[in-house]
Amino acid sequence: MAMLEVTNLHTYYGNIHALKGISLTIEQGEIVTLIGANGAGKTTTLRAICGLVKTQGGTIQLESEDLNPYKAHQIVYKGVSMVPEGRGVFARLSVSENLDLGAYSLPDRKTRDADLEKVFTIFPRLKEREKQIAGTLSGGEQQMLAIGRALMAHPRLLLLDEPSMGLSPILVESIFSTVKDINRQGTTILLVEQNAQMALTIADRAYVLESGIIAMQGKGSELLEDPRVIKAYLGGQ
Amino acid sequence: MKTLLKNGLKAGIPFGIVSIFLFLIGFNSTIADIILKFIKIDDKTVVFGLTSRPLALLMFMGVIGFWAGTNSGRKIKNKTSSVIILSTLAGLTHGVLVALVSYTIGSLSESGLKINTYLAAMLTQTIKLFLLDKTPLAGAVFMLIFLTIMGALGGLVSFSYDRANTRQKMVSGWKNLTVKINQQPVVRHIQTNPLTRYILYGLILICLIVVPLIAGSYWNYTIGTVGIYVLLGLGLNIIVGMSGLLVLGYVAFFAIGAYTVSLLTAPLPHHLMWNFWWTIPIAMLLAALAGILLGIPVLRMRGDYLAIVTLGFGEIIRILIKSDLLTSFTGGPKGVTAVGGPTLFGRPFSSEIDFVYLIFLAVLFAIFVTVRLQNSRVGRAWEAMREDETVSRAMGIDTLWQKLLAFAIGAALAGLAGVFFASRNQFTGPEDHSLMVSINVLSVVIVGGMGSIPGVIAGAFVLKGLPEILRELENYRVLTFGALLVIMMLVRPEGLIPPSRRKLDTNQDAVLDSKKQDERPE
Repeated sequence: MAMLEVTNLHTYYGNIHALKGISLTIEQGEIVTLIGANGAGKTTTLRAICGLVKTQGGTIQLESEDLNPYKAHQIVYKGVSMVPEGRGVFARLSVSENLDLGAYSLPDRKTRDADLEKVFTIFPRLKEREKQIAGTLSGGEQQMLAIGRALMAHPRLLLLDEPSMGLSPILVESIFSTVKDINRQGTTILLVEQNAQMALTIADRAYVLESGIIAMQGKGSELLEDPRVIKAYLGGQ
Repeated sequence: MKTLLKNGLKAGIPFGIVSIFLFLIGFNSTIADIILKFIKIDDKTVVFGLTSRPLALLMFMGVIGFWAGTNSGRKIKNKTSSVIILSTLAGLTHGVLVALVSYTIGSLSESGLKINTYLAAMLTQTIKLFLLDKTPLAGAVFMLIFLTIMGALGGLVSFSYDRANTRQKMVSGWKNLTVKINQQPVVRHIQTNPLTRYILYGLILICLIVVPLIAGSYWNYTIGTVGIYVLLGLGLNIIVGMSGLLVLGYVAFFAIGAYTVSLLTAPLPHHLMWNFWWTIPIAMLLAALAGILLGIPVLRMRGDYLAIVTLGFGEIIRILIKSDLLTSFTGGPKGVTAVGGPTLFGRPFSSEIDFVYLIFLAVLFAIFVTVRLQNSRVGRAWEAMREDETVSRAMGIDTLWQKLLAFAIGAALAGLAGVFFASRNQFTGPEDHSLMVSINVLSVVIVGGMGSIPGVIAGAFVLKGLPEILRELENYRVLTFGALLVIMMLVRPEGLIPPSRRKLDTNQDAVLDSKKQDERPE
């Protein structure tokens, strides 16, 4: 049973046909990445899975359960958690309040404290800045906060939208190695990236999205060597 | 020289326009009366052949003239001569404009023309006062010379006065002072002692009990009005301040509360004559229900759109109440009279004092509700929603439900305020529920400090209490109100008593804005 199975997904923004029949599967425990150029529909795919974008055709199934009847806030309770594009931290709230809100779907206070500790061991930087207003964190710290916040909801499937955006190469590397760690501890991950090189390196499998359709798919390591991918996304000859 | 001339004109003309405007609406004479109230000038005092009222008027005009001078001289710092020329020019321009208009109007009035048929405030005596009880020509010339001199004086004073620097000095001086005070061991001891808090609350409570006893019935009426606005402000604060929904039709819920109590307790039009106390929960429930019903269709909208749509609420309710269709049900444009009041142990609430206590209790209740909400799961959800609606949905917050909840609670408090309002006045009519109420309440929340309970209370006092103290300004209430809002937004955009979080905001807005740049979606 696949963790997530998307079949023939269509979405529209007004008259614009954004996703033209996307199908992808994510198995339990995998890191799957979705790469593609700007406007290819990567973010839209993620938002559709979360219920933030209305789907118009196709199905999204989480462990064989159709997600279509559920609204965005209910899907969180199903174990899908998102790190939004551009981090989306609550800029005027403190770090700990942000993390607290991540656990909104788990009203149990006790597990929350344990989860908080867990997030702080993954990102010790956040512990140092616990009381700081999130908007004043650096870009990298905000990204850590966004990931930590998503983890607070106990996700079985974690959706990451461009975690490398606007970060220095060193930070990108450290974020990606954290993502890998999180995956090792049992969270399935769907990673949307423009930084194809990094994404393909850590991913088990990958999909290449081109103007709303899946153009290619395969193992991460295979796509890294595929001449078409190299030409279009890795800047090589 | 040419640029100097240009700058002088430029600086003088706005002040001329303002002075003429204030003259034409008769504002000057009101201010003169207020000045006389504070500074006792003997009626027999005569300076330059001027009696007390013209002197008071000159004081006010002098301030404006002086301001014109300082304002013009501000831009040049080093050359004394050009500063003085510039400010004199500004004063002259100001004076010429004022003199021309006052002379024209004065002589027209002298020739027997009734100016007040065109400009309502231009009574013969107001014009005469502005011309300092002299002939039009003499008065105008006097004013011209006076304003020119004041302008020059203003320029002299403003010379070498660096505004930005002074302001900074003042700010840092104030900071140093507060830090020093806070460092005193005594102050520290008091601040950290938990007893302090309770003593403070106790003192406030005693004040709340004692003040209505010594205040007369007029002041108790005013305190009651302020209390009703505190109640409304706290309710709207939940909607606007806490959950971030800009609602402009808040008066709708106030009207529902007021009409519920009116229709249930008044002899006409239904002769239900219910007990007052029963109507409180009913009014709150109905208002909350209205909040939900009105909320369902519009809460999918965000920000400005929501504001515009909700603007319609209040008007719809008011017009419905007034309409012929519902006249038999609501009493129509004439309103409902003889609204019932509360009784306690068989004693009717007859005096203002009883209502003041009742309203205090309601305000305490509203504060309690707000505080509890702030520290709850719901409060956190609202905060997140206010920050970023999409992300909060991705956190598992049902934003539609949370918005409805905020709407319902805020509306219920407005309903409660409406009950007291109608029952205290023993009357309610459609004109009690105009758009102005919504605007007033929103101003209370914004001027006080969005999301802050002490802020709302302070805002209600400033906007509803101060106008009662300065009754002379009655006719210019909207004018002063507008000026106050503009000044407030310039000087203290976060409100009088902002919540601690908002204070952080304004300091950090620059940082946040720069961060926002890279957060734009594709």
